[in-house]
Amino acid sequence: MGFKAYSLFSFKMSIFLLLFIDIATAYSSHSSSADTTKHTNNWAVLVCTSRFWFNYRHMANTLSLYRTVKRLGIPDERIILMLADDMACNARNKYPAQVFNNENHRLNLYGDNVEVDYRGYEVTVENFLRVLTGRHETAVPRSKRLLSDEGSHILLYMTGHGGDEFLKFQDSEELQSHDLADAVKQMKEKRRFKELLIMVDTCQAATLFNQLHSPGVLAIGSSMKGENSYSHHLDSDVGVSVVDRFTFYTLAFFERLNMYANASLSSLFTSYDPKTMMSTAYYRTDLYQRRLDEVPVTNFFGSVMETIHTDSSYRAAPRKMSNRAGISMAVEISAQHDDRRTLIDLDVQDPTSHIKTKDQNCPFTRTMNTFFEKVERIEHPDSLVNYGLILMLPLLMVSVWLSS
Amino acid sequence: MPKTETETPKMKPRPIVRLGIFLISHSLLVCVVCCTAGVLALLLLPLLAKNTYISENALMPGSASSMISNRDISEANRLASDLSGLNFEPQDAAALESRGILTKYMSDLGAEVSYHKFHHKPNQFHPLHFFSSPDSTSSVDNFSCSAQGVNTVGIIRAPRGDGKEAIVLVTPYKFGKSGTAETLSLSIAYTVFSLLSRVTWLAKDIIWLVADSQYGEYAPVEAWLRDYHTPVFTGLGALNADTCIKIDDLYALEQKPIAQTKISDGFRRAGTMAAALIFKVADRNELLEDTLNIYAEASNGQMPNLDLINIVNYLAVHRQGLRVKVEKVLSLLDSRWLEILGEIFEVLGKVARSLNPGWKFGISAADYVEGSATLASSLYNQALGIPTGPHGAFRDFQVDAITLEISPKVSSHNKARHNEFLLRGGRLVEGVVRSINNLLEKFHQSFFLYMLTSPSKFVSVGVYMIAFALLVAPLPLVAASLYADANQLDLGVKNTKSTTTAPDELDITFRSWKWLYAAKEVFLVHVWGAAVSLLPYFICQIPNCSPTSSSVIRVSLSMLGLLILYLIAGSPSTHVSISQHGEKGEWAILKSVTISAVFIGLLLMSVVNFATAEIGALLLVPMCLMAQPLKLDMKAGKFRSLFRVICNMVLGFVAFPPAAYFVAKTLFEGSDSINMGDFWNWMESLWAWNSATYIYIGMVHLPCWALCLHILLHSC
Repeated sequence: MGFKAYSLFSFKMSIFLLLFIDIATAYSSHSSSADTTKHTNNWAVLVCTSRFWFNYRHMANTLSLYRTVKRLGIPDERIILMLADDMACNARNKYPAQVFNNENHRLNLYGDNVEVDYRGYEVTVENFLRVLTGRHETAVPRSKRLLSDEGSHILLYMTGHGGDEFLKFQDSEELQSHDLADAVKQMKEKRRFKELLIMVDTCQAATLFNQLHSPGVLAIGSSMKGENSYSHHLDSDVGVSVVDRFTFYTLAFFERLNMYANASLSSLFTSYDPKTMMSTAYYRTDLYQRRLDEVPVTNFFGSVMETIHTDSSYRAAPRKMSNRAGISMAVEISAQHDDRRTLIDLDVQDPTSHIKTKDQNCPFTRTMNTFFEKVERIEHPDSLVNYGLILMLPLLMVSVWLSS
Repeated sequence: MPKTETETPKMKPRPIVRLGIFLISHSLLVCVVCCTAGVLALLLLPLLAKNTYISENALMPGSASSMISNRDISEANRLASDLSGLNFEPQDAAALESRGILTKYMSDLGAEVSYHKFHHKPNQFHPLHFFSSPDSTSSVDNFSCSAQGVNTVGIIRAPRGDGKEAIVLVTPYKFGKSGTAETLSLSIAYTVFSLLSRVTWLAKDIIWLVADSQYGEYAPVEAWLRDYHTPVFTGLGALNADTCIKIDDLYALEQKPIAQTKISDGFRRAGTMAAALIFKVADRNELLEDTLNIYAEASNGQMPNLDLINIVNYLAVHRQGLRVKVEKVLSLLDSRWLEILGEIFEVLGKVARSLNPGWKFGISAADYVEGSATLASSLYNQALGIPTGPHGAFRDFQVDAITLEISPKVSSHNKARHNEFLLRGGRLVEGVVRSINNLLEKFHQSFFLYMLTSPSKFVSVGVYMIAFALLVAPLPLVAASLYADANQLDLGVKNTKSTTTAPDELDITFRSWKWLYAAKEVFLVHVWGAAVSLLPYFICQIPNCSPTSSSVIRVSLSMLGLLILYLIAGSPSTHVSISQHGEKGEWAILKSVTISAVFIGLLLMSVVNFATAEIGALLLVPMCLMAQPLKLDMKAGKFRSLFRVICNMVLGFVAFPPAAYFVAKTLFEGSDSINMGDFWNWMESLWAWNSATYIYIGMVHLPCWALCLHILLHSC
């Protein structure tokens, strides 16, 4: 029995230890992913949520942004483009198979190299959330998936008709701010992004960000609560409004930039003028760690990232360890060890370390030295005497009790 | 059980019951207040009118610039000169020739052209077809080939559309004997048609119907629509070829010179109709500027969707600078009392605004008069139930349609001025077509139940129902109160002592069934009304009958019928003479049942055609409420009862349908043109157009008037 109890105890201990190690490694790697994982790739999810000919401008908005991010260096396979309707082939389009975002018709947005990933009735709230969270059915091809990782910067652009804490999809369903926040939270936990920029051009866009809590998320909307977002101008040739104001000024900002430009996010965010936009652009930065004026716009809208110099291609910083934490103990322990070593290393660099190197003598002299030091530091000798007297009292009582 | 009942305090009825009893016991006051408020609410309607707005996002009127070029206009001018060159030839040949020219022009544009032959048949009385859809199985046998008309139909297929929807343009045109105005309307249509054959943005097919208007403008459109919606599997051309060979030969001759073009004799169709525009150029000229008249009322007071009127109004006013008008009762414009009323409302509005700047319901007196005149016309046209133009035929098939009548400014002989007019008209129609082309669904966003007080102001159903509801609200209350009084029912408001003197059971049961006699009487009178409304069907069988004599025959027959009925049914008072102790006697029960019948009739009619019910309520409700045997009032001899006698006589006279018609006519048109036959013609047109108003007059209004008269002349 005794043996059995012992073995049970040891088993429990081992589980406890294992758990502890698990938690420790998870914690350590989590903190390291947020802080130390490098920005390695860029993704863009561009969504136009509204149907119908009179919403031409929403498709034009999305296609314009698609063109911009492509021009700034995000490759097509890292852009998920969702268009809820096909204006280019609408019978009402005076210019078949062409989409313009300006009445001068200089730039056809629907040229040869447009890869639409989700079109028409495929653009639903369900599919949108599946793309974000990565929960696809097995048959969905890789080109329709957001295959980002913990080093990804993701640009999420949405345009359509919205209201207080919702965005309408397809005239029949809506995405609520809770849904969006939940999807972002799942993405964060599944380590699908390092930083996420959500850009929304709808009426009352700011309300869509109310429920966001995940760190690393930056959000900008075209209008505050109670405000409408307006279209920029009407193309009297096509007979519809072709672009929204917020997107128009965003594009105007990016037209001046190229892939190597150094403009910061704050310069983009402050470039929106409420007077010309007829609504107030709202951005939420409290979840975002970096300073906006230090982040170049190409971090999100382009594919420009820091280069990591490594001596050997096989000694990159270990990533995604926690996934296998429970399986192989040995690796975990070594990882743990690594962490500890780095901590010790950090301690070594501490400026107070010279004291330790000095006190490398016999322990007795060391305690005596400290005692003397403390005695020297005593400021009120009277109180010390009083305390001594009080201490004498119990001693006296003990001796009396022993003697009696 | 009765013991416990006497001991415990009486259960209080529920509040709603108590409220009902309170209202019934004060029914006189409620009557006066509600009726006054109802009339006042009707007069207030021009004030409560709201500005129209375009409710459907997809329409986007005026967002695209017009594309009509000078080439289209010069082509249209060429067509017009070709057509007017034929006017010197004999009529039949000219008709044929002009149709050929039109066909050639249309097919040169790439349109599919087809002819639609129809047989004009005079309107026939279908007593059972009032609420059914237009009869699709009309295989008329006894038509003559001479009464045949030919519509010319051109269809442009939308190059990238799905072919499931279409927009219809209609121009009435008298082939062979057309005036300059009709040719002008054809030129406008051709300008638009030629443009639409070139554009790439069409999503709906365009159908241009040149309606052969030699038998009126309504009949050809109606015939074409019926055939359009009736699939004929044998082929319409074959059917007609059997009966009228001569005319078909003429077609064959005519088709030879343009054999290379694709003209089919079969019926050509496009998709379901999204909307239809009927436009014509008026013969009369306006003094100041080009004017656009909008006609919208279809049968039984149905209106097209307000959005259609809105886009036409918006494009005409803000894009083409036309003056838009809707019909109004002209005689109301210079009526003094309306002006005074308008001034009073203006002052009230100013006072209200000084109290609270947020209240903005005051309008100027001139606006008020204008608004009331338009509203009166709108109300009358809807109440009449006769469509005001060919658009009515479309409404019967649930297609939104309006008629646009453009009147050019004088001196349109000037060439440049003429072209400018063409350009304006063409741009207006093009704009409307492009806007409807943007539409994704049927018109459904805006109102269907409304009345216009100006082209850009409307009163919606939620507002105008208030006036009607206030007018009819007292009816059930008065009926209940009369019934209660006659049966000496205790409604709980009187002292409880009266209940202790319970009459014997037999008496109670007898009295509680007393109303059945009255109901029988009311029912019989309604049967008489139904019979009277069927009379015209028989009268019109009499050959060579002038309207006046028909009218006289009808009135005399009706009177005869009433007399016979009275004799057969006997005086109902003999049956009920047992109830001696009834306070008001048997006439009160009769009045109560009559009022209930009126109430039910008016409510039913308000569902079918609100405007009829409103006007009917204005006439019937005061009469029904006032009715009281003249004998009683004569006996009383007080000033109040004398006043009531006079009121009753006046109301009883005015509510008689012919009298009401002539009174209204003298009020609005002057007394010089009174003819007994007019009323006959009016009634005839009502039944010829299958108006529900006719049924209402025959089955609700006339019996109720007769019953009220019966009450007035009752021998108590």
